[in-house]
Amino acid sequence: MSLIGPPRGTAPGAASEAAAPIPPDAEADRLAARDLPLVEAATSGDREAFGHLYDLYGRMVHGVLLSRVPREEVDDLVQDVFIQAMERLNTLREPGAFGGWLAAIARNRATDYYRKPATRASHVEWSELPEAVMATQESVSEKTQAIAVLNVIRTMPEAYRETLVLRLVEGMTGPEIAARTGLTPASVRVNLHRGMKQLREKLEGRS
Amino acid sequence: MSDEYLWDRSGDPDPEVAALEQLLGQLGHRAAPGTWPAPAPKRRWPAYVAYGAVAASIALMIGATFLTTRVAHPTWQVVSVAGTPRVGAADVGTEGTIRVGEWLETDASSRARIDVGLVGQVQVGPNSRIGLLKTQPTEHRLSLARGTIEARIWAPPGLFFVETRSAVAIDLGCVYSLEMDEGGEGLLRVKTGFVGFEYGGRESFVPQGAACATRPDLGPGTPYYEDANAAFHAALERVDTLSAGSSGHADALTTVLAEARKADALTLWHLLSRVETADRARVFDRLAALVPPPPTVTRDGIVQLDRPMLDLWWDALGLGNTTFWRAWKGSYPLSKPR
Repeated sequence: MSLIGPPRGTAPGAASEAAAPIPPDAEADRLAARDLPLVEAATSGDREAFGHLYDLYGRMVHGVLLSRVPREEVDDLVQDVFIQAMERLNTLREPGAFGGWLAAIARNRATDYYRKPATRASHVEWSELPEAVMATQESVSEKTQAIAVLNVIRTMPEAYRETLVLRLVEGMTGPEIAARTGLTPASVRVNLHRGMKQLREKLEGRS
Repeated sequence: MSDEYLWDRSGDPDPEVAALEQLLGQLGHRAAPGTWPAPAPKRRWPAYVAYGAVAASIALMIGATFLTTRVAHPTWQVVSVAGTPRVGAADVGTEGTIRVGEWLETDASSRARIDVGLVGQVQVGPNSRIGLLKTQPTEHRLSLARGTIEARIWAPPGLFFVETRSAVAIDLGCVYSLEMDEGGEGLLRVKTGFVGFEYGGRESFVPQGAACATRPDLGPGTPYYEDANAAFHAALERVDTLSAGSSGHADALTTVLAEARKADALTLWHLLSRVETADRARVFDRLAALVPPPPTVTRDGIVQLDRPMLDLWWDALGLGNTTFWRAWKGSYPLSKPR
């Protein structure tokens, strides 16, 4: 067993693929540093600053949830996550860790969602939607196609699906995903590369 | 394939990635900037309300200036009325304070009172959770997560807000109660004055004696008087919750119109702008039979939702006018309550 595992947040198996050297990503660092004053202000009770953080991190939280729970539940859960974050902000010891901390709250909230017995049926419902729906028939609306593709993404390993949803659904760039989730740019890059490869195969019916 | 495009949209666009972005982008986060924790209010009150509010604000400017220079306290006083209410993890004791960002909670045997600076008072019922979001000279804002409050506010209209999961209550000079469950279902009852109730562009204007439900994702329902008959209430609930244009909605609207009394003109006036065009004419006909519109208000104009005509008809309903706003100052004492 190797002691050198894949980068934090990388899906299993990703490190085994020969990947190109990944340069340090100054853009992710710049984005994360830019948010620090807002996090510090929000921690000291500045609600307007917290509102700015909601604007900056809303897509990330939405994407993390959307990759895990039924679409119709996501908006409410986004609010729950930010309310939890606002209430617990004074427990955040390192402002620079805000993104990862918030992403963890979102992932935990998604896990809690499935602990309620009444919600498990929903999980089965969307995960069992027929992939045939994703066929680009002219009679299928664009939104239906989008939901079908999203359901395909949701069948993928967690690290891939979260990263792909943030990139393709929420429109975030790789550096943004890294800065907002606390994952390393290297992990995000690998997950995007591997996830996109797997998604192409699934959409082409090869897996 | 360009991995750089996938990474940060640099380099040549990968057609497949770009197509997926376009397709999936419609499922992404939609909230506009500045909408935490609820969509920003977008005012479209009847014109007289706006004019009245301006007039009242001007009339009260001296008093308001006096008040607001004194009410911008960073903390509000909390008084235990019964049991052991808590702010955060600490018991309030006999008296305590609540700061911006803190939450007051009561259990089944607790009640509390919050003194909203010098502009009002909020009674907090059992099993409630309420947070102080903002207190500034121009805006005081609470968040009611669950439970019941009764607010008595004597600040100028539009200074005191209570946010909930499904609507924002905007004080327009009044006494009102608001109860909410954790899921965002709630009920507003106005005892005196007026309250604006809105969410995501859907607005209800609730006068004295009226009530208005609010529901998650739907926002404020149509205001009504609680002494209307049971068939009217049940049908109005269906009108508020079923999709406009569905057969169930149309049937429910028929019942609402048939059961409406003259007092229910409040409800019908709101429905004018909430039903589909095809149904608007029959709402017009029923409302006109109950409260004839002023001569300059036409059926076609109302069907087209002509705003001045809607305002003129509202004035004819007898639910208040600018006189209310001028008289408002005298309705409540401008001194700190005990």
